[in-house]
Amino acid sequence: MSKIKLFLLAVTSASIFLASLFFGQNTINPFNLQGTEKEILLSIRLPRVLVAFLMGSALGVSGAVLQGMLRNPLADPYILGISSGAALAAAFGLVTGSYVLGKFTIPFAAFFGASIVSILVGAFGWKKGRLLPERLLLAGVGLSFLFYALLMLLISVSSYEGIRRAVLWIFGDLSIADWSLIPYGLVFILSGMYISISRSKALNALMLGDDLAHSLGFSARRERLLFFVSVALMTSASVSLGGTIGFIGLLVPHIVRFVIGADNSSVIPVSAVSGGAFLCGADLIGRSIAPPMEIPSGIITAVIGSPYFLYLLRKKDVLGS
Amino acid sequence: MSSVHNQPILELGGVDFRYFRTEPLIRDMTFSVENGEFIGLLGANGSGKSTILKLASGILKPSVGHIKLWGKELASYGNRDRAKLLCYLPQLLDINVPFKVRELAGMGLYPYDIPPEISVDEALDLVGLLDKSESYLANLSGGERQRAFIAMTLLQGAGLLLLDEPLANLDIKYQLEIHRLLKKLKDTKNISVIMALHDVNIALQFEKVMLIKDGRVLGIGRPENILNRDLMKEAFDVSIEIRKQNGGGTYLNYGDNP
Repeated sequence: MSKIKLFLLAVTSASIFLASLFFGQNTINPFNLQGTEKEILLSIRLPRVLVAFLMGSALGVSGAVLQGMLRNPLADPYILGISSGAALAAAFGLVTGSYVLGKFTIPFAAFFGASIVSILVGAFGWKKGRLLPERLLLAGVGLSFLFYALLMLLISVSSYEGIRRAVLWIFGDLSIADWSLIPYGLVFILSGMYISISRSKALNALMLGDDLAHSLGFSARRERLLFFVSVALMTSASVSLGGTIGFIGLLVPHIVRFVIGADNSSVIPVSAVSGGAFLCGADLIGRSIAPPMEIPSGIITAVIGSPYFLYLLRKKDVLGS
Repeated sequence: MSSVHNQPILELGGVDFRYFRTEPLIRDMTFSVENGEFIGLLGANGSGKSTILKLASGILKPSVGHIKLWGKELASYGNRDRAKLLCYLPQLLDINVPFKVRELAGMGLYPYDIPPEISVDEALDLVGLLDKSESYLANLSGGERQRAFIAMTLLQGAGLLLLDEPLANLDIKYQLEIHRLLKKLKDTKNISVIMALHDVNIALQFEKVMLIKDGRVLGIGRPENILNRDLMKEAFDVSIEIRKQNGGGTYLNYGDNP
C-alpha cells in the first residue's frame, strides 16, 4: 500500500472523526469551549462518535474477514444471522419495557441474542469436525428468516411506542451511546480485531482454498473457527452498542480492496479505519439533515450502500471475472 | 546423518483410503520416494491420482496404513514444519483469487520467519512472469496463472513437491520449460517430485512412472518398462505402447498397428 494512499486515508478519517465531534445539531467551536458546549462535547458527542467509530471498525473488519474465510464476496456480518438474534432480543427488551438492568438492558439483551445465534449458526455450519462455508451461510440465512419472523410477530402484537423504538434501534440508534458502554464494547471488539489482524496471512491462504492453505502450513479448520469466533465477538459487540447497522460490513471491505488490493495484512486494518470513519460520517449526516429529528445511521449507510452494492454487482471485475 | 541418504523422503505403507461408508478409493497403496526422484503418476480419470497426492500431503488421512515423511509419521508434523518440507499444488483450473501475481508468489514464504535464499523476483523470473508481477491473477491467461502458482511453490522451497496436473493448462513451451525448471531444481537442490499426469507423452520424459487404476498400483518403474501394451490396456482401456526408434528416441504407437 502506497504512502500517499495511507496518508489520504489517515487525513480523511481524522477529518470525518473531528467533523462529527464538532458539527451536528449544535456546532461546537473547539477553540472556545464553554460550559454547556464542553458538556455536550464530552458527555454526548465524544462517546457517541467513539461508539460510531468502534461499531464501524468492527463491522468493516468482520466483513473483510467473512468475505475471505467464506470465499464469498457477498458475505457480511449480518448474513450469518447474528443481527437477527440481537434485534429480536433487544426488541423484546424495548417492547416489553423490562429494564431489569437499567440502561444496560438493551446492549446486554442484544449481545445475548447475538451470541446465541452465533453459537447456533456455528453448530449448524459444523460438519465432520470443521466449519463449512456453504453450510455456515445457509444456516445464517435460515436462522435470519426465523428470527426476523419472530421479531415481526413481537412488533405486531406490541404497543405503539414500543414499536417505534424497536424499529429505530433495528436501523441503528447511536443516541443511546454513552461512556458506560464503551469499555465493554472495546474489550470484545479489540479481541476480535487482534485475532483478525494477527492472522491476516492465514486469511490470505484461506482465500486460495483449504488445500493450498494446508500446503502453506495453515490448518484451514482451525483458522476458520478462530475467524468465526472473532467475527462473532466483533459483530455481537457492535450490534449491542447501537443496533444493526447494515452495509458497512459488505461495502467497506470491497471499496478497500478496490483501492489498495486484496492483501489482508492491509485490508483488515484499513477496513477498520475506513469502516469507523464511514459510520461516523453517516451518523453526522443522520443527525444534521433535519434536527432535532435523527435519521438512524443504518438508514444513511443503506441509502449510500445499496446503490453501490448494485453497482458492484454489475461491475464484475471487482468481484473477480 | 549417514542414514539420511538412504532414507526415503516419503513412504506409504499399505494405505487404504475411503470416505465414510463408501467403497475405498485407494487400496493397499505401498510405495516410496527416494531423495531426488521424479515420479510421474499416471492413470485414467478417477483412478485416484489426486487422492494419492492429497494423502501424501496430509490433507486426507489414510483409513488404514501409514504415511511417513523423512521417516516420521506425516500426521505428527506441525503444519508449518511440514510446509517447509512438502508442498502440494492442487489442480487449479477453477481458482479465482483477487491477488496480484507478486502477492500470490510471496505467500510461498508464509511458513518462514526468515525467508530462504530465493527472492520473489527471482521466482517470478524463473517462470517468466516478472513483467506481470503487478497484474491481477484474474487478468492472466490460464497458463500464466498456473505459472504464478508454480512461482509460489518455488518460493516455498520444500524438498518434496506434490503437483496435481501442473502442466495441464500450459502451452507446450511452458510445459517444457516448467519440466526443465523442475529438473534443474532437482539437480541443484535435490528436490523430489510426484506429478500427476494424464498425458502419456509427458510421462515418457520421467525417469520413473507409477501407473494406477482404481486406487491400486499397476506398476512402478522406468516408463519403457511400465507403459507396455498390457498395462496401458488395463489402465486406460486403449491399445497404446511405446516404441523405440532406430535413432534411439521413443514414440507412442496408437491402435493395433504392427
